[in-house]
Amino acid sequence: MAPGIQLRSTLSRSVLPDVTEEQLIYVLLEVSAQGVPTTMPKLPLNLCLVIDRSSSMRGERLQQVKEAANRIVDLLSEDDCLSLVTFNDRAEVVIASQRVRNKVDLKRMIGGVEAAGGTEMATGMALALQEIQRALVGRGVSRILLLTDGRTYGDEGRCVEIVRRAQSRGVGLTALGIGNEWNEDLLETMSARENSRTQYITSASEIAQIFTDEVKRMHSVFAQDMQLRAEMRPGARLRSLDRVRPFIATVPVTEEKDLVWATNLGDWPGSDPQAFLLEVVVPSLAVGDHPLLRLTLRYSLPGMNLLNQEGNVVLRIGVRQAASVGYDVDVTVKHWLERLVAYRLQAGAWQDVAAGRIEDASRRLQMAGTRLFEVGDVDLAHTVQDEATRLLRSGQTSAEGRKRIKYGTRGLMGGETQEREA
Amino acid sequence: MIRCSHCNAQQMNGTIFCSECGATLITEAPRRETTNALSRTIDGIPTVVEDGPHTVVPAPPTIAKASGICLVVINSGRRITLESGEELLVGRKDNQRGIYPDVDLGLDGGYDAGVSRRHAIISPSRKGYMLEDLGSSNGTFINSTRLAPQTPTLIAHGDELKFGTLILRFEIA
Repeated sequence: MAPGIQLRSTLSRSVLPDVTEEQLIYVLLEVSAQGVPTTMPKLPLNLCLVIDRSSSMRGERLQQVKEAANRIVDLLSEDDCLSLVTFNDRAEVVIASQRVRNKVDLKRMIGGVEAAGGTEMATGMALALQEIQRALVGRGVSRILLLTDGRTYGDEGRCVEIVRRAQSRGVGLTALGIGNEWNEDLLETMSARENSRTQYITSASEIAQIFTDEVKRMHSVFAQDMQLRAEMRPGARLRSLDRVRPFIATVPVTEEKDLVWATNLGDWPGSDPQAFLLEVVVPSLAVGDHPLLRLTLRYSLPGMNLLNQEGNVVLRIGVRQAASVGYDVDVTVKHWLERLVAYRLQAGAWQDVAAGRIEDASRRLQMAGTRLFEVGDVDLAHTVQDEATRLLRSGQTSAEGRKRIKYGTRGLMGGETQEREA
Repeated sequence: MIRCSHCNAQQMNGTIFCSECGATLITEAPRRETTNALSRTIDGIPTVVEDGPHTVVPAPPTIAKASGICLVVINSGRRITLESGEELLVGRKDNQRGIYPDVDLGLDGGYDAGVSRRHAIISPSRKGYMLEDLGSSNGTFINSTRLAPQTPTLIAHGDELKFGTLILRFEIA
């Protein structure tokens, strides 16, 4: 079989009643690698580590970070480029962008990093962008790996702006927060683009594992420049598109022209299946079988020198007399939707908190807890309900609970199993 | 359109979870409405709760099933599980006056909703459970009917109880 990406779609209901109004249908789109050799040639990696060395990192945290950086050096080869930038009140280039040749030297430079001072992230990010651009290559993966444990004051806007500039040049960001003090809104905003992600590290001992996992993921990027297009039948429209696997994230879509929606999905690290959930509004249709939409995925497989590949799938629905149509929905679609709803509810809750609507926020969190119980995520459900109760009693949430909920509902907690099959 | 039985929002046919409140809409056949004109007239009716045997807020599976009664605060989804077999005071906690009700609605916005400190009593009887208003300032209602003070009245599973303006659903486990 020719190598490529296979598209598989499941509808919440494949048969709809013939009512005279619009109906909502959910589409689970699963994409998986097909006929891909198990050992893919590694893509050259252009990596910049950006490490917060403010005084709060002193001790075990910085020790673990150095350990993790050394392990990264071990994982890289001469094809790869590495740079290391640290920041506190100022930023400094510890390792200028270079090929990974003399690993002993690199590790010695890593060993010299010490913790002191405050947290000014933007200067660190600016230097990181400067270093990583020295080694920008056409083929390969460029990535900034940021680790912070604190809040940066007053330069949040610049951080976002620098990251956007990097992203527009094909440089992705992995933003890792450790502890409870850092600003999750900032990290989420910074990584809210394709090719970027954020993760929450609960304890220092996880740092090395998460760093090395991330580098392995980058090394094994299987597909690049993934673009999804959805062409609708007249009268139908795409209400939303969200990634649900490997983690939950809203995917911004643009209406390219009438009835055509398009979005950029970025790179595909590793070759584990990905899944997306689409909400599609179906117009009133006559009894019969109808095509509903066509989904087209364009992508490149750089490891196999296959550029501008395309796969597509056409979704069809049946419309029957209302009396003969039940209300059963596909359980797999419902499972992923339920996780997504929990994520949306907690996101809405934080907006309510920010606007001072404490009771609304608590109600949303309660319902998010109910949804999480239903999908079997009992620990997280308890965390959410505790936070809802705390909010109602004191009008406040805990920094830790909030981070656990934000990252947990997306499936982005360090050290926990992220995958759960329906 | 269908209507969310939890928050009353209008939702498109086929919706699985309410886009407003996140409640599940498929545990039962949805209440289908035939035309938009009809649903507009329904909008005008301020019914907040649909009575019926269905569960609006599914109980978290880990909560032990006490053989008792349960009050569900509609606006927060909080379930208050109670031992059966004794009189239960519904009201608001007041440390200074030494009032410690069995059901403290102070946590659910009871003060703003006009719940009195000693508002009502739920008591078991041979026929079932009785609800008695204790002369509260803002009244006690069963399915929108106001109770006369100090008059125990029978309540049934699924009844909507209103203390002041705070709405709860009564359930027998």
